[in-house]
Amino acid sequence: MAEKEKSDWVEWVKEQDDPRIAHTRPEALDDITILDLSNKSFAGCYCSSLLAEFGAEVVRIEPPEGDFIRTCTPFGILHEGEGLNYLTEGRNKFHISLNLEKAEAREILKGLAAQADVLIETYRPGVMDEWGVGYEQLKEINPRLIFASITPFGQFGPRSQSKQPDYDNIIQARSDIQYDTGEVMPEGKTYDDYPWAIPTKAGPWIGWCQSGTFMAVGILSALHWRRMTGEGQALDMATTEAYTAFDDYAHLWHQLDGHINERCGSLDPALWLYCFAPTKDGGVFLGGLRLEMWQAFADMLGKWDDWGAGEWTSMVPFGVMEEQLKWGPLIFAETRKYTNDELVTMSIEYSKTGRLAPITPVVAPICSPEETMKDTNWLDRGIFTPIVDPVYGEVIAAQTQHKMTETPIRTKWVCRPVGYDNEHIFLKYTGFGPSKLKAMKEQEII
Amino acid sequence: MAEDTWKDYKENKRFKPSPLKGLRVLEVCTLVFGPLGPAILGQLGAEVIKCEIPPLGDVTRSLIPIWKEQSPGLIHLNPNKYWIGLDLHKPEAQEVFRELAAKADIIEDNLRPGIMESWNVGYRQIKEINPSIIFISKNGFGQWGQYAEENRPSNDGAAQAFSGYAWMSSFPGQPPLKNRLFICDDYGALMGEVAVLSALHYRERTGKGQFIELSQSENIMRTMSWVWPYQQVTGKGAMPAGNRDVSICPADTFRSKDDIFVALAAPAPEEFKGLCTAMGKPELAENPRFKEHLTRLKDENATEILKIIADWVRTKTSQELEALAEEYGFAASHVYNARDIVQDEHFRERGFMTDIDDPIYGEYLDHEFPVMMSRTPPKRKWTARPVGFDNEFVARNILGKSDDDIKKLYECGALGKWFDMVGRRPPPDWDGKAGLIMKR
Repeated sequence: MAEKEKSDWVEWVKEQDDPRIAHTRPEALDDITILDLSNKSFAGCYCSSLLAEFGAEVVRIEPPEGDFIRTCTPFGILHEGEGLNYLTEGRNKFHISLNLEKAEAREILKGLAAQADVLIETYRPGVMDEWGVGYEQLKEINPRLIFASITPFGQFGPRSQSKQPDYDNIIQARSDIQYDTGEVMPEGKTYDDYPWAIPTKAGPWIGWCQSGTFMAVGILSALHWRRMTGEGQALDMATTEAYTAFDDYAHLWHQLDGHINERCGSLDPALWLYCFAPTKDGGVFLGGLRLEMWQAFADMLGKWDDWGAGEWTSMVPFGVMEEQLKWGPLIFAETRKYTNDELVTMSIEYSKTGRLAPITPVVAPICSPEETMKDTNWLDRGIFTPIVDPVYGEVIAAQTQHKMTETPIRTKWVCRPVGYDNEHIFLKYTGFGPSKLKAMKEQEII
Repeated sequence: MAEDTWKDYKENKRFKPSPLKGLRVLEVCTLVFGPLGPAILGQLGAEVIKCEIPPLGDVTRSLIPIWKEQSPGLIHLNPNKYWIGLDLHKPEAQEVFRELAAKADIIEDNLRPGIMESWNVGYRQIKEINPSIIFISKNGFGQWGQYAEENRPSNDGAAQAFSGYAWMSSFPGQPPLKNRLFICDDYGALMGEVAVLSALHYRERTGKGQFIELSQSENIMRTMSWVWPYQQVTGKGAMPAGNRDVSICPADTFRSKDDIFVALAAPAPEEFKGLCTAMGKPELAENPRFKEHLTRLKDENATEILKIIADWVRTKTSQELEALAEEYGFAASHVYNARDIVQDEHFRERGFMTDIDDPIYGEYLDHEFPVMMSRTPPKRKWTARPVGFDNEFVARNILGKSDDDIKKLYECGALGKWFDMVGRRPPPDWDGKAGLIMKR
């Protein structure tokens, strides 16, 4: 009976939230206008992208030469003149230019802020104030405005006046997460022998992306408060704090007994079964944090008796590093006998026929992004559906990570060149027509 | 000015309202991906009721139970919640859940597809009694598709593996490396709340609720920005580059004279000039191979300039490097460890490392929600509780149940409390009263 109900549920939900029908549904935030003044900050761009995906009208404001972030692209590669990172996160946004060094441009910005719900900026604390467009100044014009600042150290505190710029690898370094991620240096070896056995950052711009996402949550909460009270406010985020904020337990553990988490390769500092394991043709992740899942793993490999799995009563003893270092080689010797596919299949089969079924361990192949992008499971779920952009043509960017039955997100276009929407946006918000724009261009305002 | 807006923020924040005041959230969540979402809403002022299956509850309770017999993971991940032990296998418990759901705004679960429905508390059943409910289900593979239909279990590590995130976060020629953080859980939970709060905005405009599904792997793929169009445009697979950021040059981690790892970045024109001047080699900023960022990023040029910087960094201590970064306007930081974070004066002054004074788990420092809000500051207030600790409070305060009703719910096993076991029961020094709300 449970099986029948489940399949009915799956059909129902797919019918409601398949990204293929997203364009037929309303958008959650299409009554909101956002100005994004991000400068050399992917965090700001990412924040406004998320809100634009939910339907907000985002006006991206750049200096006439364009934001430096557009040039931050792997190996300097451009697609149709655009850097590949910016290409993926210009999505659904209108792009205008304004030279904020000029007083006239700042007056125009005030006029736009008077009509906006949210403003996102990433300048060093004090810069917006000096320009006369800081929060205290803009709230006089628009008390409902939500003014969101993203900087490395925040708007206040001893280091807030730092002159250092904000880049993802620096955020990661300040987080403690880079410190204790990485391969362990074998005894007697040095950095010259094993230059990769060092604190290792994540490859993606996770420091920036997480900061931008946190700010999106802050902005949406502030919008909720504003609907209840009419009040706008200022929001302050330090990217350094945003990435470290999810450090699950290392900082409490330190307070308990001075413990400092160190690198442990692809094991976990304190959890079992929770590691990467080598296989005949690559590697897999193995997970079994519940006793029954760890027992199921032993059983799946035919080691129930050999390893005495029936005698185990608690996971706690397995978590300590000495035990992990003892069990690691034992299980790796077994996983090396199989391919990734074989191990995955064994775990699915075990969930049907094993002694502890439906309990089964987590077994997941470690994929290259090339394999990920070809995986039919994700293709079917719409993650890599090419976006046919009016300017940039067909582009693959990860999308539709939220599936929603009423207001699904969607990618309407991926990006725009600098100032591409000057005509449309200035006409819409300020009534400026072609001759006014021409004059503004001559005066180097746009 | 900014100083006026933020004057005495830390001192005054406990006397200001929270932005999500008045919202009620129910969770049926375990481990990280699930519970962290409601925790975010709780810190923003929502009332969160965490339902656990008694007597064992959340699996995180088993993980390194070292903080007064409790897992610091559970403590960190579950602030500001009320805890009930509700055995949803039992019809009477399902009825209690439905009574709560009728008075709730948001429901979050992180079970495999169809389980909530098999307990008669799925989205379709709840919306019959509360049409404006916002209901989010988070798990490994979402509700549909091959992997979901094979009913595969998942963990954060599986998402790091499936997505290519681990592959891209290692050194060239070395096996893919698992990140120490449960990043796909953490980041995914945060992304979930972007959808929940957007759905809330829509509901306030239209009265309509909805169902949201989220997959651990799909969220993290979004953060891998360039990887996907790079593979499309070049026809090549993206490869890892260790600590070097291949999109920003220079940006890498180096080893200082005093053997400390220091991350450094100086890509923008004025920053790169500053760095070259600090190195005593201002001519490098004019070298045609390095002058323009796009040219400098080319593999052969980037390799060359990073080697020059690495050699220079070996001649300076980490303190000297950070001082030079301030002086010349580029970015440099030693790699922080747990002690650096806990002791950092800036974090303390801002109240990001905030003092907790919990009736059960005592005094310690934990992270404040990292968006500071001038009118409605988020706040971390209390922490984890034993399984079923707030049963009486929730049953009486929200559902109006009498002592008799509650007694019956215990008798049939619908309500339950902790098993006498590490991680589940109160800490050894608990006096039998502290933290209890309804009756001490």
